[in-house]
Amino acid sequence: MTRTEVLDELKKVFAPYTTNKEMLASINDDTDLIRDLKINSANLVDIIIDAEAKYDIEIDYDSADKIINVGTCIDVIMEKLTQEK
Amino acid sequence: MISAGNDIISLSAIDITRTNQQKFYSKILSPEEKEIYNQPGFTSVPFENFVWLLWSIKEAAYKYLKRHNPGVAFIPVKFVVTELHVPNDYSLTSFGGKQTEGTGFVNMPVFKGIIKVGDDTIYSNSLIYRELIFSTVNGDDDFENINWGIKIIDRVDAEYQSAVVRAFLIDRLQRFFNVDGIVIDKNTGGIPFVLKGGAEFGVVVSLSHHEEFVGYSFRSQS
Repeated sequence: MTRTEVLDELKKVFAPYTTNKEMLASINDDTDLIRDLKINSANLVDIIIDAEAKYDIEIDYDSADKIINVGTCIDVIMEKLTQEK
Repeated sequence: MISAGNDIISLSAIDITRTNQQKFYSKILSPEEKEIYNQPGFTSVPFENFVWLLWSIKEAAYKYLKRHNPGVAFIPVKFVVTELHVPNDYSLTSFGGKQTEGTGFVNMPVFKGIIKVGDDTIYSNSLIYRELIFSTVNGDDDFENINWGIKIIDRVDAEYQSAVVRAFLIDRLQRFFNVDGIVIDKNTGGIPFVLKGGAEFGVVVSLSHHEEFVGYSFRSQS
């Protein structure tokens, strides 16, 4: 899976948790989940669980801690996908 | 350490089914914390409320620590709630009204907790109503100087939540200190600070919002 493919799928993961649909359509590596997408921190666990289900991976605590923006989110998913192989 | 931290959870916004799933709550609670729920007083607290109570305590503690340590990471299971006490004769009631404000929690049905984060010990006071959970934290277990507020708002978009919670806090600060011209801003790390006349006002504050609720806390003495 390429970064672009992961990014496209991630938009679907984020969609239920952001009201900023305009920003969602144009997210990039630097997009901050809380500051830019206005995702409430209370939904971060939902996003991690939804991402785990979508990619059939497990995101541990230390990896979850790295998820700050879209770029680090893709990094973690790519890393876990590689480990699953 | 002088700081402030609070968090608010709208219970109408939580997914009860998902919260009760082990894969969900295990990302928030450690096994030891889950044991706290087996204490006798918690029989009147639904498990989903317990999970989100601990989330709100941990999030408030994270905000408290982040003011002085911007690099602190929010890994919920590393914010360890070691003690949590249910108020005597606790029963779930409705929030009622549009807003409430207070100083300390004397004679209120408050859940008192202790959180350990590395070498730091933080104390929490939380209120649970049918509609919401509100937690504040402090560096000691005396909440006499902790001022707080909870308000229901009529729109849930982030810009509105942010504007209303700032106005709510500014109104309280200006009444409390009998001043005007207070401004709330945030630094690049998202930590709120208070300005008056362009200079730091010297009061540490914390803001929170979730769906139709906003909250604040601040400490009135050093």
